[in-house]
Amino acid sequence: MRYYITTKSEWDKKLDQLLLSHTIFATVSNDLGLDFEFLRPADIDNIKYNCPRPVTSLKTFFLPPRENVTADRDSDSPRIIIGAPNCDIEGLSLLDEIYLDRDFKDMFFNWRRKNTIIVATDCFSYRDNCHCVSYGIKPFTTRIADMSVSQLNGTMIFRCITDKGEAFIKTVINAQLLEDKNFVESVENNNTEVEKTLTEKNKGLPDYARSGKLLESAGKNIWKKYSSDCVSCGSCTTICPTCSCFLLIDKPGFEKVKQMDTCQYPGFERVAGGEDALYELSERFRNRYMCKYVWKPKKYRSTACTGCGRCIDSCLGKINKNELIMELVK
Amino acid sequence: MFDNNNIYKPIKARLTDVITESPLIKTFVLAPEHEFSFETGQFIELSVDGIGEAPFTPSSSPLITDMLEVTVMKTGYVTEYMHNLKSDVNMGIRGPYGRGYPVEVFEGKEILILGGGCGLAPIRSLLYKLESMKDKLEKVTLCYGSKTPEDCIYKPLFKRLNNIEKFEAFRTVDKPDEGWTESVGVVTTLLNRVRININKSIAIVCGPPVMMKFGTIRLLEMGFTDNQIYLSMEKNMSCGLGKCGHCMMGEFFVCKDGPVFTYGEIKHNPEIWK
Repeated sequence: MRYYITTKSEWDKKLDQLLLSHTIFATVSNDLGLDFEFLRPADIDNIKYNCPRPVTSLKTFFLPPRENVTADRDSDSPRIIIGAPNCDIEGLSLLDEIYLDRDFKDMFFNWRRKNTIIVATDCFSYRDNCHCVSYGIKPFTTRIADMSVSQLNGTMIFRCITDKGEAFIKTVINAQLLEDKNFVESVENNNTEVEKTLTEKNKGLPDYARSGKLLESAGKNIWKKYSSDCVSCGSCTTICPTCSCFLLIDKPGFEKVKQMDTCQYPGFERVAGGEDALYELSERFRNRYMCKYVWKPKKYRSTACTGCGRCIDSCLGKINKNELIMELVK
Repeated sequence: MFDNNNIYKPIKARLTDVITESPLIKTFVLAPEHEFSFETGQFIELSVDGIGEAPFTPSSSPLITDMLEVTVMKTGYVTEYMHNLKSDVNMGIRGPYGRGYPVEVFEGKEILILGGGCGLAPIRSLLYKLESMKDKLEKVTLCYGSKTPEDCIYKPLFKRLNNIEKFEAFRTVDKPDEGWTESVGVVTTLLNRVRININKSIAIVCGPPVMMKFGTIRLLEMGFTDNQIYLSMEKNMSCGLGKCGHCMMGEFFVCKDGPVFTYGEIKHNPEIWK
């Protein structure tokens, strides 16, 4: 994997120029913590690199909460998204499988994917509920994104991932090929350290496949117990980098509006006759776990839980998915 | 059939006629703006402008491409609007979607069809197809149940079927009226009258969930194997594209992997009868 290097001041200057032709979103600190923000020239110096996952997941840039899918495709200027952690990048891999499948390609999703340069960042630290490593996902990116950026003091180091990313690094950023192995080692050492610490911290948490087996054979009691604090708010699925269910709403003129939806809301599976397989709260609660750990793995190659831990942080009922899984281990 | 660039955009279809089949069921005759072909058992998403969209399996012959019929029970928000529609309005069609009946597998076989209520709609389309290939089939037996004689749809169909070589059709109702001369009881009671060589047969079940469940149980008792039974599943198929998640039944998207499944394909899944 090739690395390129430039100075922080050069990179910042380039971003300032790129703002004339591109829409850029980058991770900056705001009142909620670290989050993707629409980048303004004054914020370029405030971009946070190598921080663990932002509040919002990357999926929002490809699956907006609401869009008219019978309107003409938007013709936005090209986009650059800076600072996506690997849990989000891996989540995008599942969204690609669903939305760009061979039979039915979503042209809006496809356009946004093509129109966006994704600049991932390696996590040099982690949050309390980060557990990507338990599911075989590294805290740094080597696929799907176009490139990855790391900051070492006044230096920016870019890891090339796609041809599109390499062309961008070489011709737009004008970064130099990095031949000094010390720099590469510094980045890789940071990555290895975080990976080790995360592995130690999540010791005992079953891997993805075993979690699926445990959840599949779980009895009704555990679903009732953990769902008793669930208020069906849908924050877990809304904030999840892989949850992508939606509702089509009809508008006059045969227009259709696609709005993100969640199996956690009552009536998600209700049919016109009134039958509703997910009528009970505990059934809806179970549905999310089964979908992520049992059903999606049978259908897709990508993992449907990337261990970002956002669902745990966002839960109004303070339900911890990993505690449920650990209870099944006992 | 759908816009190749935009999978969410329907094509227009003119509603040319509305036929009342029973107090709760009407057939809508549609003329799509482009030629529209489907395989029997596949479904379409039909929209009422500005109101909503719902999945229906066409009840017309898959051999006809300039006209389409869907038979609809008044049961929810969209269907109630549909029942108030008069002909000459535009509707929207997306599809066809999903996996229909694998009719090539039925060649050389005896076919037993179990239908209930509005479940006869997709079956009528299948019967048209089977009629067109009757030389390759051994026998086709239809057993159909409805609540009352008034609820029984496609009344002329039964007389016609019984006049076609290799075809026979039986009807039963839960509550007969004075003029009813045919069977009384749930649809599975008709199976006692059916003479069939099970080893050379396949069975098809389509109807309300409870009828599908007990129909399948009875067929298994008769000696049908899991993979000889074809079920047409009913879920909330919203996008039809295997994306929106509303019709998930375990690992299957009913809209894309189904709606027709063999019982063997889905029986491991406790979600199927919900």
